[in-house]
Amino acid sequence: MDKKQREFKVLLVDDEDVFREATARQLSVRGFIVLTAASGEAAVELVRNDPPEVVVLDQQMPGMHGSDTFIEIKKLDPLIEVIMLTGNTSVDNAIELMQMGTFDYLMKPINIDELLYKIEDAYTRKKLNEKQQREAGQ
Amino acid sequence: MSTILGNLRQLFRDICGRNRADQPGNPTEMNALFRFRYTLFKELLVANSELLTVLSDMDEKLKGETVFGLSYITNQVNKSLRHAFQMVKSLNVMSGGKHRELYAALERINDRIKAIMAERRAEHAPRAAVPYEQILLADADWAGGKNANLGEIKNRLDIPVPEGFAITTKGFHDFFAYNDLKEEIIKQKNLIYINEFDLLSNLSAETLELVRSKPMPPELEREILAACEQLWGDDQSVLLAMRSSAVGEDGDISYAGQYLTLLGVTRAEICEAYKSIIASLYSARSISYRSSKGVYDEDLAMAVACLKMVDSRASGVLYTRHPYDITDEHILINAVWGLGPYAVDGVVTPDAYTVTKDADLVLLDKTVATKPVQLVLNRQGGVEERPVDAALQGAPCLTDDQIRTLAGYGAALEAHYKCPQDVEWALDQDDRLLLLQSRPLKIQSPKNFCLLKTAPLEGYRLIVDSGEIASQGVGRGSAVHVRSMEDLADFPEGGVLIARHSSPEYVIVMRHCGAIIVEAGSVSGHMAALAREFNVPTLICAQPVMELIPPGMEVTVDAYTGRVYEGTVTELLAAVKKEEAHMKGTPVYEQLQRIAKNVIPLNLVNPDAPEFTPAGCATLHDLARYCHEYSYKEMFQISDLASKFHGWSLKLDAPLPMDIHLIDLGNGLREGAMVKWNAVQVDEIVSAPFLALLRGMLNREVHGLEPRPVNFAGLLSVFREQTMAPGHVGERFGDRSYAIIADKYLNFSSRVGYHYSVIDAYCGDTVNKNYITFTFKGGAADDIRKNRRVRAISRILDREGFKVDVKADKVDARLQKYPKSYIESRMDILGRLLIFTRQLDMLMTTEQSVEWVAENFVAGNYKLTAPPVEA
Repeated sequence: MDKKQREFKVLLVDDEDVFREATARQLSVRGFIVLTAASGEAAVELVRNDPPEVVVLDQQMPGMHGSDTFIEIKKLDPLIEVIMLTGNTSVDNAIELMQMGTFDYLMKPINIDELLYKIEDAYTRKKLNEKQQREAGQ
Repeated sequence: MSTILGNLRQLFRDICGRNRADQPGNPTEMNALFRFRYTLFKELLVANSELLTVLSDMDEKLKGETVFGLSYITNQVNKSLRHAFQMVKSLNVMSGGKHRELYAALERINDRIKAIMAERRAEHAPRAAVPYEQILLADADWAGGKNANLGEIKNRLDIPVPEGFAITTKGFHDFFAYNDLKEEIIKQKNLIYINEFDLLSNLSAETLELVRSKPMPPELEREILAACEQLWGDDQSVLLAMRSSAVGEDGDISYAGQYLTLLGVTRAEICEAYKSIIASLYSARSISYRSSKGVYDEDLAMAVACLKMVDSRASGVLYTRHPYDITDEHILINAVWGLGPYAVDGVVTPDAYTVTKDADLVLLDKTVATKPVQLVLNRQGGVEERPVDAALQGAPCLTDDQIRTLAGYGAALEAHYKCPQDVEWALDQDDRLLLLQSRPLKIQSPKNFCLLKTAPLEGYRLIVDSGEIASQGVGRGSAVHVRSMEDLADFPEGGVLIARHSSPEYVIVMRHCGAIIVEAGSVSGHMAALAREFNVPTLICAQPVMELIPPGMEVTVDAYTGRVYEGTVTELLAAVKKEEAHMKGTPVYEQLQRIAKNVIPLNLVNPDAPEFTPAGCATLHDLARYCHEYSYKEMFQISDLASKFHGWSLKLDAPLPMDIHLIDLGNGLREGAMVKWNAVQVDEIVSAPFLALLRGMLNREVHGLEPRPVNFAGLLSVFREQTMAPGHVGERFGDRSYAIIADKYLNFSSRVGYHYSVIDAYCGDTVNKNYITFTFKGGAADDIRKNRRVRAISRILDREGFKVDVKADKVDARLQKYPKSYIESRMDILGRLLIFTRQLDMLMTTEQSVEWVAENFVAGNYKLTAPPVEA
C-alpha cells in the first residue's frame, strides 16, 4: 500500500490501548487521518462533533457494547461505514453484524493489510452511496 | 431527411456528452472502485475453494473408514459455515446488498445444524492420564485419534503395541484452567496482526515461554507419574516418545509436522516435555494456519501419546492389500534393519514380502535386498545412521514365521476396520513384533505412484491410461455421449456418461449412471463432489475421450487407477468391495451423516431454473454455488463502470484496429513497467489472460494484408440501419475498449463499431477458479444478418469448447474449471475471433454464410474471399 495522503477520516474505537495505539500508528503512516476513542460513549461523542468517513469498531468493549455504539453512530449519520472487529467466532454473531448493516467484519487477530483495504473499500462504498443519494434527490 | 439529421445530432451529442456525465472523479477513486470489487471477488473464490475442500474431506469421512470424533464434526461444521458466510458476505458487499436474503438462508441452515449438534456432546475424559488398556476407538474425543486407535488395536484385537498411556484432553484443560491461561493467550493474540510474521513469532515465543513457565497442576503431575510407575515401576531408564494427538483436527495430513514430537524423554523430563508439546499449539505456523482455515482456538484441545520407545532391530510398513492395483488382494510387507524412517523414506531398498490374506497366510514371495545402513537410537535419545554388520546386510530382516505372524496382524486389522490398512511395525530387541500405527490405506491415484504403477490388465484393450480420479470406484456400462442437457433426458440405466466437460447438471442422471468420464474439469469441483455423494466412479481425462469412446461402446472404468478398458473387465468388477466400513452405524458417524445433509448436497444445479434463488438454498453447497454464479455476474458488469472512466487509464500501444485502455488492478503490468505518453507496450503486460487474448488479436493470420472484400448489398444494409433506426444508432459507437487487468484476471470490454463484446476471465494455477465468460451483442446490420452473425459466432464457440447460449442478437458463452494452458488457448481463440468478426455482418448475406464462416474460422482460414450465394 502506498503512503499518499488519503484525505479522509477514520475513527478507530477499541478499549485495548496497545492495539488501538499500534493500529492508529499503522493507519497514520499510510496517510489516513486517524481519530481514536477508547469506548463506545467517546466514539459517539466524536462522531457527533467531528464525523469521520469510516469507523473501525471493536465489538467487545466494556460499557457501551460495539453493537450499541454502531446503532448510535448510524443514527447520527447513516452513511458512515462501519467495519466491526470481533473476537467472537460464532457464525450467528457474524450474520447478525452483517444483517445490522456493518460494512464488513474482521476477526481478531486481524490482518493489518486486510483492514487497510477494507477501510478504503468502505470509503469507496460511502462515496458511491452519497452519489446515489444525490442523484436520487435531483 | 429530418430523421437522419436528428439521428446525426443525437450521435454527436452522445459522443461529446459522454465524457462529462457520470464521471466518478479521479484516478485514485477509480482504482479504488475496481479494486474494491476485485478484492471481494478474490475473497469469494478463495472461500469457495476452501469450502469445497471441507466438503470433500467430509465426503471422505462418510466412507466410514477413518476414525473421527465429535470434535472433528464441530470443527468441519464451523469451517464450512465460516467459508459459506464469507462467500455470502463478499457477494453482498460487492453487489451493494443485492443478495441479502442469503443471510436468512444461511441462518436457517445454521439453525438446523446447531439443532443436530446439540443432541450429542463430546464425552469427557475420565482422568488426565489413561493407560492404553482402558482406551478404545470411541474415546477419540478425549484421547485423540492416534491414542484411540492404539487402544483399539491392543484391546479389541489383542495385537501388541508399545507400552504407554495417553495424557487426555482433561490434562490439557486442567493445565490451562489451573494457570488461568486461555483467556490470557487469546487476549494477547488479539493484539497482534496475523500477517506480520515478526509479531506472530514474538507472540508464539512468548506464549511458549508463558506455558512453560507455568507450574503443572499438582494433581496432573501426580497422575502422569503414577501412570509411569504403574507401567514401568522404578525403572528410570525407560525412554519415552511423546507425540501430539490433537483433537478436532481434520486428519493427520493437514496438521502433519505442525506440533511437536519429542523422542527419548526420561521420566524426570516428562512434565516439561508435556508443556512444550501443548505449547506447540501456539507456534506461529499453527496460529496462522488455523486462522486461515477458520479453526477456532476454543474448539481446540490436545491429547498426548506417551509411548515407550522401541529400540527396533528391524521395522517397516505393511499394506493389507496392493495400494493401487485393486485386483491384488495380497498382503505386502517391507522391512529394513533399525528404525522405520529408512523404509518409508526410501533411503534403503527394503526387503519385500508378499503373503496371501486367507487363513493359510502363504508366503508367496520373499525378495531380500542389500541393506548397508540403518537408523538407530543413540544414548541421548536421538537417532543416527550406522552401518549394518556385513553378515546381516544381505539377510532377511524377518523369519518366515515372523512374516506370517505380522501378516496375520494385518489380516485381523483389515477385518476389524473393514477397510484396507496401512500399518507401521517394529521388531524389538527381544524379537517381539509391535504395531506402532495403523490407518486406512488410501487406494491412490496412479499420479502419486507414476513409477510404481502396475501394468494394465492383460487381455483387454486399454482406452485411457491416466485419468484423474474425481470419485473412486469401478463402473461398467455402455457409452453415452452428452453434448447438451437435452441428451440427459433419456439417459439409459447404467450408461457411462461421456462429455467434454464436467457439469453439476449431470446430477439428474447420477442415480442410474454406471460411471462418468469427462475431458476437463476439477477433481475438487461441484460435479466431483456430487459424484462422490452418489458414489459414481468418475474420471477426468485430458484426452479426447469423445473421439476415443464412440457411443454404445461397452467400457469398464477403473477409477482407482484412472483407466478405462473396452468391454467388461470381470476381475475389476469382482474386486470392488461391498463391505460396510467400520465407522458406519456408530452414533458419531450418524451425526456426521445428518449434518452432512445440510452441507454437502447440491440442489441448485441449473442457474436458469426458477429455484435458483436464495430461498432455494437448502445446503451450504447450494449457497456456495449461488454466490459463485452471481459473483461472475457482478464481475462481468465491472466493464459498465469502465466506460464511465474516460478520463484516466493507460493506452495500449499495439498494432490493433481499436484503442485499448488499460486499468491495472494489481500485478497486471510488469514491475517497473515503462509508461510513455500514458501508453504501454505489449511486452510490459504480464496478466496471463490478457496476454493470451492479445496473442490471438495480434495473430498475423487474422489480420491478413488485404481488406476483406465487402459485399455491396451488405454495406447498403449496414448504412440503412445506421441512418434509419432511431434509438439504435450509435448506441455504443465511438466507445473505447477497456482491459481491466490483474495478474490472473481480465475483464475486456470492446465496443467497436455497432456491437459490443465483454470477456471476463480468471486464469491461474487453481483449476477450480479458472473460467471465461464471453458475451457478444449487436451489430449494425438488420436483424436477420445480426442473427446470422451471432449464430456463426456461436457455432465457432461451440466447436472451440464453450457452452453457448443464443438469444436474439446476443451470444453468451462460458467455460470453467479448465487448466491454465487450456484457458490461455481459448483466450487466444477469442482474441482471433474479436478481430475476425469485425464487420462480419456485411458477409452474412445468405443463410449458408453462417456455416461457411464458422467452418473457415475453425479451420484457421481467416481470409474469407467469396461468401456463398443463396441457393
